[in-house]
This record gives sequence, C-alpha cells and structure tokens, in this order.
Amino acid sequence: MDKAHTYRGELVFVDHANRRGSIRVQGSGMFFRNDPHPFAMLPYGIVRYHGAPADLRDIPLGTVLHVHAFLPPDPKTSAVPVLALDNGKKDANHNRGAGIFPPENHVLLLEDEPSHCQRLGLTWKLKEIEIKGYAGMILATCEPKQGGNAKATEEKLTFDAATRVWRGRESLSIEELVTEGAWPKDGKKVLNGESVLLGITWRPTPDGIFTRFHVSDIWIDDNAMQRAAINQTETHKAFIHSRWMPAWIDAVEYGKFGRATVTATLFGGMDPSLYADFTKGTSAMMNAVENTLKHTHGAYGPAHMAARGTILEVIKAPGNAPLGSSGIQVRFVTDLIIEGIRPTRVVRIRPSTWPQVQVPREEYLQDGANMDERFPTPAIFPKY
Amino acid sequence: MFRRNDPHPFAMLPYGIVRYHGAPADLRDIPLGTVLHVRAFLPPDPKTSAVPVLPVNNKDKDANHNRGAGIFPAENHVLLLEDEISRCQREGLTWRLKEVEVKNREGMLIASCEAKHRPNNKAEDETFTFDAATRVWRGRECLLVQHLINGEAWPAQGKKSLHGQAVMLGITWRPTPGGVFTRFHISDIWLDDVAIQNTALRQTETHRAFIRSRWMPAWVDAVEYGKFGRATVTATLFGGMDATLYAEFRKGVPAVMNSVENTLKHIEGGSAGPTQMAARGTIHEVIQASKNAPFGSSGIQIRFETDLITEGMRPTRIVRVRPASWPDVHLPREEYINQGSIEERFPTPDIFPKY
Repeated sequence: MDKAHTYRGELVFVDHANRRGSIRVQGSGMFFRNDPHPFAMLPYGIVRYHGAPADLRDIPLGTVLHVHAFLPPDPKTSAVPVLALDNGKKDANHNRGAGIFPPENHVLLLEDEPSHCQRLGLTWKLKEIEIKGYAGMILATCEPKQGGNAKATEEKLTFDAATRVWRGRESLSIEELVTEGAWPKDGKKVLNGESVLLGITWRPTPDGIFTRFHVSDIWIDDNAMQRAAINQTETHKAFIHSRWMPAWIDAVEYGKFGRATVTATLFGGMDPSLYADFTKGTSAMMNAVENTLKHTHGAYGPAHMAARGTILEVIKAPGNAPLGSSGIQVRFVTDLIIEGIRPTRVVRIRPSTWPQVQVPREEYLQDGANMDERFPTPAIFPKY
Repeated sequence: MFRRNDPHPFAMLPYGIVRYHGAPADLRDIPLGTVLHVRAFLPPDPKTSAVPVLPVNNKDKDANHNRGAGIFPAENHVLLLEDEISRCQREGLTWRLKEVEVKNREGMLIASCEAKHRPNNKAEDETFTFDAATRVWRGRECLLVQHLINGEAWPAQGKKSLHGQAVMLGITWRPTPGGVFTRFHISDIWLDDVAIQNTALRQTETHRAFIRSRWMPAWVDAVEYGKFGRATVTATLFGGMDATLYAEFRKGVPAVMNSVENTLKHIEGGSAGPTQMAARGTIHEVIQASKNAPFGSSGIQIRFETDLITEGMRPTRIVRVRPASWPDVHLPREEYINQGSIEERFPTPDIFPKY
C-alpha cells in the first residue's frame, strides 16, 4: 500500500463487467480540461463506498474518489492503455499541469470521501457557509477526528438545492435546513467547526476556477453514516453471495483420477460475515475466473462447471494481511479439478449455504475461445 | 431467461427524455441495474447511428437458448427512458402490496400494479425479491427493512398480509435462485407522498443544475439571414425539463447559442468553453407554439437574433441555448468536441461488445 501511487479524481466512466473505468485526475491545473484517465481494478483491488465494501457498479458517476494504484502487472494483457513510466511527471500542457495521466492505472484501493476519511480517522469541520437560493459555498477543513489540526488548509466547496443532508434516519434538503433555522436563507453563517462527513463530486465551475469540488451529501451524525454504511454493506454482501468469493490460488496438490487439494487465499475487503461462512467441513464450489473476476465456462451458470468439494481447513495467517488479501487461507479438496485452477490464477468460491444463481451475460465468458472476452483490450477508451 | 439476454445497445434521440424518480434526468443519474421502461424508434439515420443497426424484424426473432423473442429490437433510438416510479406517476399507477414473506431481513413481496384511483381486483400479482439493502422511504426518513421489523410493520420471520397498501417501487434486477426465468428486485419502497415528492425534488434540482451548466437543447426550425453575419434563428426548445428552466427564456433576454451534435455535445473549436464559439444575441420573442406539443418538444419556440451566426445553426440541426443569467462554465473534456474529428462527432458502435 505504501508503495502505491496515490491520486484523486472524478469517476467519469465505468465498464463494471470488466472492472475498469475512467477517472478525471486532479492535478494542479484546470480540472475540467483533464481527459478521463482509464483505470483497471487489480483482481484483488478493493472498492469502498460510504465506508463499506462495494463494486464499481455501486458508485455514481461524478463521485470524487481516492486512488491507490500500481503499474500494469502484465502490460501485454492490460485492459487499459499502458503508459510511459514518466507519464506521471509530464506536464499535460493547456494549463492542466502534471500528474493527470499517471501510468499507475491498476488500482488496489478505490474509495470515496467518507470511506477515505473513516480509514484515516479524518473528519470534515465546517467553518462557514454562504448561501443564496438554497445554493452556495461551504468553507471546511479536513482534519484528524481526534485532536484536530489548527493548521489544516481550508477548502471551498459548492453545494446546491440537490445536496442531501443526512441526520439520523432523515434525509433532508438544504431548504429544510433553512426552514429549521440551522442555515440562513441568505448570507453567511459561521459554523464553528461542526464535524461532519462529506460526499464529494465535481460540477463545472464558474469564474475561471481551476478546481473546486461539490458537496453531494453531508452526514451530520454517526447514526446517519452508519445507516449509509449498513445499506452499502448489505448491497455488497448480496453481490458476493451471488458472484462468489474471489481468491488467489497459492498451491495445488494433485491426487489421482482428477482429485486435488487447492490452497487459496480469500481476497480482502469484504464484510466479516462473508468470511465467517467459510468453515471447516463446509461443502463448496470453486470456479476459475479471469483477472476481471468474470466466471469462465459458459451460459449454464458458474455452478455447472465448477469443481465441487469440501473445505478441509481454514487458516488465519498471523498479523495484518497486505491490503487486497483477507489473510484467510482455505484448503479445498475436490474429486474433479478443472482447468484454470492453478497457482497464481484467480478463482471464485461458494460455500454451499450461499444461493446458487446464474449471473448475467456480461459477467461470464462463454467458452473462453474469444480472446477479447478473456482479455479486454483498451480499444473502447476514447482518445482525446 | 432474463439473465442470458445480451446487453442491448441503445442511443437517446437528441430530443429523447430521461426520467428518474419522477423527475427529469440525465443518463448519468440512473444507477446501473435500474429497470427502465423504454419507448424507442428505428435509427433515424442508419449511416450515423451510434449503436448497431439491426434488421427491422429483429424484435420478432426468437433469440434461442430459452431467451424468447423481443430481446434485441431494432428500435434502439430512445424517445422516452423512465424508471418504474416515473412510469407509474405518468400513467397514474400505483403498486399495491399484498403480502410479504421475510426471513433474515430478506424475502419476497407480492404486489400488483393498478390504477391509483381505480383499484383493480383482477390485476395480476407479481412476486419480487427484497433484501436487507432495500431502502424504505417514509416522509423524510430513509429506513432499512430492519427498521420495519423493529416497528412491527413487517414480521421478523414468516408471512404477513399487507392489505393492498399503496406504495411506489424502485425496481432493479438481481440473479435469481430456483431457476426462475425473470424476477425483479425491489431497491426502494416509497411509503407516502411526502417521501415521493422529496425524491422527485432532489432529482429535479440535480437536473436543473445540469441543464443550467450544459444549456437548454433546441431544434433549429428556421434561419433568416441578414447582412454581415446577422441572422435570426427560430428554434424549438426540447421538452421534458423543469418548468422553471423554460420560464427563464423571456423576450429581451440576452442569450448565447452554440451548435451541438446529435449527442448534444457542444462544439467548442478548442477548449475555451462553449461560450467562446457561441453566437451571442437577444431573444426577440418566445412563442408557445402548441399546447399539445409532441413528446420530446416543449412546444416553446424562441426567436433569437445574433450579429454573428456560426456554422452548425441550420434548420433541422441541434443547438444549445443559454440565457445570460445562467452560469458561464466550462464543460469537462468528454462533453465537448474539440476540433470536430469525425469519430468524436459521430461515435461508432464499436465500443459495444459482441456476445
């Protein structure tokens, strides 16, 4: 994680089935001019939204995200353009500055603002608002939640009548805050460093401002943020139940007549209740997937071709696992190992307690003969 | 089998309308997975279609592999794209909840879609799934299924009759167990009018801000040329916007007009913003041409005079117009055409995967 290149930008395009998309990367220059920058999730890359595990499909276009990314692990099969190593330092000209098209476009961690703040123990402190016609400007600082930072740099963000304010179970509009008297109808108000979490997006900015972000959501209290996180956690749990848990093959011990014992490490970043379903003695299925995490082997559904067997052992590695890994190894025995389940390849596993469903057409490979399906090319990304 | 159906490419007609949560919307506002109702036509110009042009009889063909007919219609140019709540509101429908069955905060809802003011005992029951992530909107509140259980509105386990409770539903799709061919999933339930109005208000404000920054699209009806570049352009504003946006087009208001492509992308001739290349002038007249304008049109015509007409403002072409009171902003790179490359002007269907 420490070795990753970090940047921040607006989600502009998503090809969720292939776990890739484009981000307009924040640089020192005119943000609006920055070409959408293609990125691909690493197979074990983690997406977080509203402080909870997520899939790319859960994140609305326009959301500003924090990115931790690496160079393409295998440039030959990269699903996004492979860029020159010094690309991150080149000035992009036209007042765009440097850093807006880094070659580190394979993402280990993609997280929205509340997720980023919660991970790092940060909070936004509201200093002042200026409002007219239910729209206006917020002055705020991002500081450590505990202890604060009197020297934190103030940032100006816009808000408008569509900004949602979450308080406990309530979803309020700016107009409702004004009606309650919490915010003035017109003019400025000092907010004395009120601690909140912010959802941040981008909107075109008047007055020649190079970069200014927009507040889509304000979570006023912990209850509100927890409710948003529960909703996203449940969404992602249902997603993983139906798509199966991704894992990395560490080793395969072959037996006779197709029998094999597979040792695999479950990917990280999931809700703990999902890992808890992997218990010794549980029957399970394991299917080969591509680096896009797409199931292989056709239209009958992943269960049709998957290797069936039993989880012999669940091993929790000591210490903190690296980001992307759960640190949980399973040993799975099957009497019919299938192609694709080999060391360093990626699989998906389903404990038999999870529902057996078929995934939609764009999320599986047919017979694997189509190389474009297995290794999507960067050709879909526009060249500006 | 719904899950087997290949994603079917579509393109919005320039005057096509998107509605989400009962309010005007842009495609970017609609979450992936949302079930939408579509009204579409054949490509107006197959040569420049941004999506594959299909045989005219495609909708009648059986797609084999238990997929049935009608899943890849040639009518892929969309006039109206709307989510469930928008469709129900447009057609005066409501969902009546008959029965819920819950186990571990998820389960099945039986409901029927009926006329709001004319309950229909013969309406067909439909079975939906819901889960612990389903949002329930009540007044200002955003509740989880767990909250309904805590409040004893729904049982923690087992079945309960809901006696035809009238609600609005947000509908999505999730992979379905049990070999079911097609069953949809409930993402949202709006329990009352206040909740529905709050949701619509937010989407309306989102779209208003969007149109104010991207400008109002319009169809050029006529151009009367004067001398030395002067011209008067008559244009009909596109339909489906919030009424407050149309109200800002008034006689005597200064405005700017820029040519755009059928994708509604501004032509900027560089990256200095749409205002730089736009024709500047004044709205001379606002004409309510027809009370019953065809869908896609607002029925509102403006006559706009400029002393320097720019290329692209010709009858049947599309423009965007901004009253001077709207903010003058620069658009992001993917939303304008720089030097007019043909691929940027006429996107090809190449990006759509072939399954």
